Amino acid sequence: MIRRMHRNIPSFASVAVGLITLALPLFLSSSNIEIYVNIGLYTIVVAGLSLLMGFAGQVSLGQAAFYGIGAYTAAILAVHGWSPLVALIAAPIATAILAFLIGIPLLRLKGHALAFGTLAIQLIFLAVIPETGALTGGSIGLSGIPPLRIGSLEISSGRDYAYLVWIVVVISLIIAGNITRSRPGRGLRAMAASVSGASATGVEVERYKLKDFTLSGAYAGIAGGIYVFFIGYLSPDAFPVILSIEFVIMVVVGGIGTVSGAFVGAALITVISQVLSTLGTGPSLPPQLPTVLSLGVYALILIVILRLVPSGIIGALSKLFNKVQSASPVAPPVIGNSVETVSTTDNNDKKEFTLADEI
Amino acid sequence: MTAFVEYLLTGVSRGLVFALLAMGFVFIYRVTRVVNFAQGAFAVFGGFITYSLLRAGMPQGISELLAVIAVALIGLVFGIITIVGEIPLLASLVITIGLSILSEAIGMLIWGTTPITYSGLAGHDFVIFGAFIQRQYLIIGIASLAVFVGLVYVFGRTYFGKAMSACASNPYAATLSGINVKRMGFIAFMLGGALGGLAGVLITPLSPITYNADVSLAITGFAAAIVGGLASPGLAVVGGLVFGIVEQFVAGYWSPSNETAVALALLVVLLLWQSRWVRLGGLE
Repeated sequence: MIRRMHRNIPSFASVAVGLITLALPLFLSSSNIEIYVNIGLYTIVVAGLSLLMGFAGQVSLGQAAFYGIGAYTAAILAVHGWSPLVALIAAPIATAILAFLIGIPLLRLKGHALAFGTLAIQLIFLAVIPETGALTGGSIGLSGIPPLRIGSLEISSGRDYAYLVWIVVVISLIIAGNITRSRPGRGLRAMAASVSGASATGVEVERYKLKDFTLSGAYAGIAGGIYVFFIGYLSPDAFPVILSIEFVIMVVVGGIGTVSGAFVGAALITVISQVLSTLGTGPSLPPQLPTVLSLGVYALILIVILRLVPSGIIGALSKLFNKVQSASPVAPPVIGNSVETVSTTDNNDKKEFTLADEI
Repeated sequence: MTAFVEYLLTGVSRGLVFALLAMGFVFIYRVTRVVNFAQGAFAVFGGFITYSLLRAGMPQGISELLAVIAVALIGLVFGIITIVGEIPLLASLVITIGLSILSEAIGMLIWGTTPITYSGLAGHDFVIFGAFIQRQYLIIGIASLAVFVGLVYVFGRTYFGKAMSACASNPYAATLSGINVKRMGFIAFMLGGALGGLAGVLITPLSPITYNADVSLAITGFAAAIVGGLASPGLAVVGGLVFGIVEQFVAGYWSPSNETAVALALLVVLLLWQSRWVRLGGLE
């Protein structure tokens, strides 16, 4: 069922969405172009994170750090006279290498330990950047980042960036989609269901997880690289912990482990936070109201979605679609693999232990 | 010597606060298997509520006590939201992240964005080995010691404490012997709330808190709790002390800006060390 869905309906839907988004920059005002670019960049990061969460069944609370490392790589190289295009290409490569190196020890952690481990990486990143003033501009930041050039083509206007981002999003989503349907993808999906089960059937769990983590780093890296050329200025404030959490929220909203969900989640959350900040800004309103509103809405989204529709919006839609098509139930990936329950089966004890071990 | 004593005592008192946070993680995890990310939010609420009660003219002592009770109730509400029904464990972690963000929104709405603090119990600071010691350290010492002794008594001697430990070690057997495991989970969340709230009440006079202090408090408490594999309250206290002292020594003898990075790096090393231990079958 899932396979047929992927081949028919969504491919039509995604072509339609692709064409609409391709035409959109022509009609957008410059402030809306900025939102468009942000949605695109977040889609890329979220696609990587979604693979990690849905297929490896792991939560990373450090994705904004990888986004930041991509941005810093591109900015530092470009400021030091490297060609901007080379700097941009170096961003995902450097981030992927770093993710790979961090992942070798860190991916031995699972579940909450990995979540806190990656959060620690993010906080270390935020603590270290201000101490490396000469190279990174410290807490003041880096400015004077040259414009992006590809050959003789200079990418400067918002619309140019919108198209650059569109191309990178499409490439990223196609790669991610292929991975989910490939043999490693099926292995990863088996892992999300049960690590020991997958491992017993010959899935190279550790290697796949590391590849997944590296790829999610590369995705965050390229997005960060484009971001820095687009904004033209860089400071550590652009990569707060809440951004990492926002990425997780986008994955959860779109549906964990669904490629199209990455776009839906990124677009919805970005638009919602934009609307809230417009609504919450006014002469008689307290200045912190937009932040209060968006934090409150993020929290409600996380809690409500995980409690009521754990498969996310895309998951819920495809479930609905499948119900119409046939009676066979589909279970899209859900974070974690175990339900805390005191069941009455007689091997319950043993089960509880595997749960504690696996998550 | 003077500096050493000062760093050590500051480290110990901050460490005791971390230990309270860490024990909140441990009690909730042991009974419900949920790692409660909102543990830091409990501390922030504790500090904020005490501040408001003091400003409303409530006497010192009563304000602190009421704040701890209020946060215990917040803990109960968080527990209900997190563990009612059947939720995958990692999803419940993400739900508590949601609760933590919700707390930030509420904190920012009510108490604003400027750091708040209040003075601890009135009285003179005193001097040991030439080191200038704040009176609040003594209060932290007495309060946390009282809590530790109380918990040792409850878990070691009372039927209720044993029932709670039973849920932790074998929920199925606990159910069979007539213990309501879910209800014990709610009580664990209340206990976690009270411990986190107390931590916030005690630390706010030392270092002002803001609405978004919850993440760093949560990760420090978690770091301390992981020393005992999230399962041992005693080792969580040891962990709290280690992190408190290490932070102060790094800040004092090296540089205050390295304090966080070193503590976090220590956390990652601990996590990795522990994962190896779990693999070898040492913990489970």
